[in-house]
Amino acid sequence: MKLVVVSAGLSVPSSTRLLADRLAAATAGRAPGTVDLRVVELRDLAVEIAHNFTNGFPGRALSAAIDDVTSADGLIVVTPVFSASYSGLFKSFFDVLDKDALAGKPVLIAATGGTGRHSLVLEHALRPLFAYLRAVVVPTGVYAASEDWGAEGLADRVERAAGELASLMAALSGPSLSDFPASAQAPAATSAPAQAAPEAAVPAQGVSETAVPVQPVARRADGFHVVPFEEQLAALRV
Amino acid sequence: MQFGIFSVGDVTPDPTTGREPSEHERIKAMVAIALKAEEVGLDVFATGEHHNPPFVPSSPTTMLGYIAARTEKLVLSTSTTLITTNDPVKIAEDFAMLQHLADGRVDLMMGRGNTGPVYPWFGQDIRQGINLAVENYALLHRLWREDVVTWEGKFRTPLQSFTATPRPLDGVAPFVWHGSIRSPEIAEQAAYYGDGFFHNNIFWPADHTKKMVELYRERYAHYGHGTAEQAIVGLGGQVFMRPNSQDAVREFRPYFDNAPVYGHGPSLEDFTEQTPLTVGSPQQVIEKTLAFREYAGDYQRQLFLMDHAGLPLKTVLEQLDLLGEQVVPVLREEFAKNRPADVPDAPTHAARVAAAKEEVTAV
Repeated sequence: MKLVVVSAGLSVPSSTRLLADRLAAATAGRAPGTVDLRVVELRDLAVEIAHNFTNGFPGRALSAAIDDVTSADGLIVVTPVFSASYSGLFKSFFDVLDKDALAGKPVLIAATGGTGRHSLVLEHALRPLFAYLRAVVVPTGVYAASEDWGAEGLADRVERAAGELASLMAALSGPSLSDFPASAQAPAATSAPAQAAPEAAVPAQGVSETAVPVQPVARRADGFHVVPFEEQLAALRV
Repeated sequence: MQFGIFSVGDVTPDPTTGREPSEHERIKAMVAIALKAEEVGLDVFATGEHHNPPFVPSSPTTMLGYIAARTEKLVLSTSTTLITTNDPVKIAEDFAMLQHLADGRVDLMMGRGNTGPVYPWFGQDIRQGINLAVENYALLHRLWREDVVTWEGKFRTPLQSFTATPRPLDGVAPFVWHGSIRSPEIAEQAAYYGDGFFHNNIFWPADHTKKMVELYRERYAHYGHGTAEQAIVGLGGQVFMRPNSQDAVREFRPYFDNAPVYGHGPSLEDFTEQTPLTVGSPQQVIEKTLAFREYAGDYQRQLFLMDHAGLPLKTVLEQLDLLGEQVVPVLREEFAKNRPADVPDAPTHAARVAAAKEEVTAV
């Protein structure tokens, strides 16, 4: 399973990256099978992200990061709080992603700040952003203020959020249901809740092995969605 | 294979002098550039269509008609004609008229334009962009092929027993290219009709152009117009040359750094590495252009963007000399090598008239 961490921390070392690493380690320990962990440090991509806005296409390093994020089974995204919200760099990275890149993907949201008074930034800024991108945001977000690093409670929240992310990754990995025609959804749908229904014999990872192999119809290898021209014409009744 | 130039028609101050040409100067410069294209042996001149400053070419067939009268061989085209906001009836008539005046040296490229605000200026709704391109072209296609058209659609008043005049020269419609940078719907449209597909190929990395061209080729074959390799593909390109490549880089850099669209963004070095832009010697231009075939297959038309970003007319004319004398003859020779015999040449009026006659005889 591929777990990708996006960290928007700016200093080295950064508490944002520290929180990201804690969340990643906790998630990797709970996810089934081996976990392929990638870390995307947005600081290293800041110039390419800016150029993406002026050019319209990503440079090489940014392109690789976008591919990592798009192909991930789960995401951990961590931003410092700047001016009562996520940082501009953090938002800019998600602005250059394809609008469908995160659809159906489990995402753990986290943030760091100098004071606990900003903790609701997770709920009023990050959660709506990822809801817009149609990601599946885990219920527990993790906010770490400076004082949290020396207090009790952070570790529990990290563990709880990581557990939720690992469960969602196990349940949602494999081809997304939306890739399949309606008639092909039945076998996947019956075995998908394996985790929630312990009587099912197959483990969650077995879904893709036991499901009837059906080629996705909506998505081509080149990523284009092609509507046959006759359908375009028919829609207009030309 | 055809080689030519396409112009956006921007009025941009020369960043090295601050001097901005008047609209009148720029329009006359576009004509001088077109005449030069014929003089140096290029095949095609295409003009953009824009309806907002800093661009001047709002009336392409007026300009192309004037150029037609002063040239003998040059094929006159557009890059692009706005199929979304122009009335398809007027496009049918304007280009049929131009076809007669130019003795068939006319084709055109359909596009949706690059600016949202243009839609309401012509009474249209940008949210219908793709649908307008689909419906308007479906009507235009019929107006050139059927003498009497009765038609009803979503976006304009119905037509009852309407005949667009004049009829196309020799009864053969101008060849149509469909230009798009990123819309698979347009590649699909071009494939459906068996028309040409043109990718501007300038601002984006080659792998993106490759994907769009492959989609068009695959769908062209799907609709039974021929094999994927026989689909009609055109590509853009952008070059600046001096005999010595360091001179080219030094001279072009201020124009690049301040250019519309990508200026004040990436470095010249990054952009030349990541996109088809070549700034260097004619030999470097030849090498980079020949490589287009590796990702687009054997294709029919190569257009270069030469006059933009405030380059003075004198410089552009020098560039066209280099292009015509040192680059295009080599490209013609090299592109002809290993070109499969069943890959068609670029469409011309004469060839299309001959093909139409053959079809009639066959029936």
